[in-house]
Amino acid sequence: MNLILSINRISEGYLILTTGLSIVFSALLLLVLFFKYGLPLLLYSYKMITKKRVAQIEKQPVNNNEEFTGEIAAAISTAIHLYLNDNHDNENAVLTIKQARKMYSPWSSKFYTVHSRL
Amino acid sequence: MKKLFIIFGVLSFLFLMRPIIANTMQSQNSANSQTISLQKTSIDQNSEDHGAYNGLLKFYHYTGFANATSGNLLMILIGIIFIYLAIKFDYEPLLLIPIGTGIIIGNIPFVAGNQTGIYETGSVLNYLYFGVVKGVYPPLIFLGIGAMTDFSSLIANPKLMLLGAAAQIGVFGTFLGALYLGFRLPEAGAIGIIGGADGPTAIFLSSKLANGVNVLADGTTVKNLIGPIAIAAYSYMALVPVIQPPLMRLLISKKDRKIRMKPPRAVSKKEKMIFPIVALLLTTFISPSALPLLGMLFLGNLLKESGRTERLAETARTKLIDIVTILLGVTVGASTQADIFITKDSMMIFALGALSFVIATMGGLIFAKFMNLFLKGDDKINPLIGAAGVSAVPDSARVVHTEGLKSDPNNYLLMHAMAPNVSGVIGSAIAAGILLSFLG
Repeated sequence: MNLILSINRISEGYLILTTGLSIVFSALLLLVLFFKYGLPLLLYSYKMITKKRVAQIEKQPVNNNEEFTGEIAAAISTAIHLYLNDNHDNENAVLTIKQARKMYSPWSSKFYTVHSRL
Repeated sequence: MKKLFIIFGVLSFLFLMRPIIANTMQSQNSANSQTISLQKTSIDQNSEDHGAYNGLLKFYHYTGFANATSGNLLMILIGIIFIYLAIKFDYEPLLLIPIGTGIIIGNIPFVAGNQTGIYETGSVLNYLYFGVVKGVYPPLIFLGIGAMTDFSSLIANPKLMLLGAAAQIGVFGTFLGALYLGFRLPEAGAIGIIGGADGPTAIFLSSKLANGVNVLADGTTVKNLIGPIAIAAYSYMALVPVIQPPLMRLLISKKDRKIRMKPPRAVSKKEKMIFPIVALLLTTFISPSALPLLGMLFLGNLLKESGRTERLAETARTKLIDIVTILLGVTVGASTQADIFITKDSMMIFALGALSFVIATMGGLIFAKFMNLFLKGDDKINPLIGAAGVSAVPDSARVVHTEGLKSDPNNYLLMHAMAPNVSGVIGSAIAAGILLSFLG
């Protein structure tokens, strides 16, 4: 312990400089390596694991509803299309603008406090 | 107009009163002089006048006019210059306007002992300053930064992360410079982090290392350097557009400046979600002392990238960071009270701060050139982006972009420069953690 304390401050500084820099570099290098090699591997393995499950889902038979024909689907989608595109009635294009009464009261108005003349 | 005249009248009255009061003060002190003592007795006789006069005298002693020192006036001038720079040249206005105003607030002369100043226990400013002294604000700022930052350019081209590490040589170089100038180890560590070009990190580390509270092994207390360090870090960050371009032109040849980098690949949502978690784990396992900063940074990023917490991310990157920036700016500015701030140490810190930015920029640029030696063809990087390794997000990336455009008007480097820029943030936080664990 005494030995450590007796080391010159500057030399301790150099020690911190070299170790500190190398730690920063190694930390970021680790990140680089992970994102260059680790992550693609991780994503690939994830893909492989989930692929099986997706396949299983695909194997399940789909129960077709015989009554639901393409014509019904077309009719519904046309209705939706018409509804979405014709949502509004044709409104009167003439606008009448009425002047609204100003709603502020003078008691807290900055205008009156700045320009008050007694 | 009338009010203006009244205010002007009161001010000129106070100025006129000053020599009169000063004279009477002298007369009270020199009782030997007969003529003056006669005056004094005549004042004493009129007791009503005396009371009013004393009240006025007391009032005068409480005003800033009586307590102003040249240091206060100088600091107020600096505050005004900060505000001017922010408004006129648009240099980091979000920081410089609160800090500039803070400097003015902190240097309004006052009578000590009335819970007014930032260093007086119980004053409102002191309560707000608590967040700086205890390192509360920086992690909150980092949360906001995390929620703002898009790490996709970094994920697309991970090798650019090393540029962020290279620029940290500015931190350690300045640390060494501070040691040579006679600062003690923890103080030098706190000064060194200015080279990280990251305001919140600088405040965080200086609040832990150079807070005026810690006691060293030899029984002495460290100096309180939070104010000078924060001001230096933020001022030089604002001056990045001035400091960096000459260095870029000095170190990077015209030919190299024209190098075009291939566009970064598209990054999937999954990768973006994994990044904050993995980066948090890796970096904090290596440097746990940086946990408050890095933890919040990556939490913010996860809030953004998870796609489920958009509300929280939105708050973190707008309202929260705004509130904290206001409080941080004003209190850091106000901490520059002239009697504490204007010292030889502060001047040295400012000199070291400038040096640290130069070293950090040069470190990034030279390392980028060095990396190019090992890269071939399309993979070659434009060495200019090395300068963005100093954090100063996103200013240094923007500076790189404009410098690149000057050499080749069709070379857009912004996206590429953002990668070393954000890795600089991570790098400087790790460096802060290392310095803290070595010296704390």
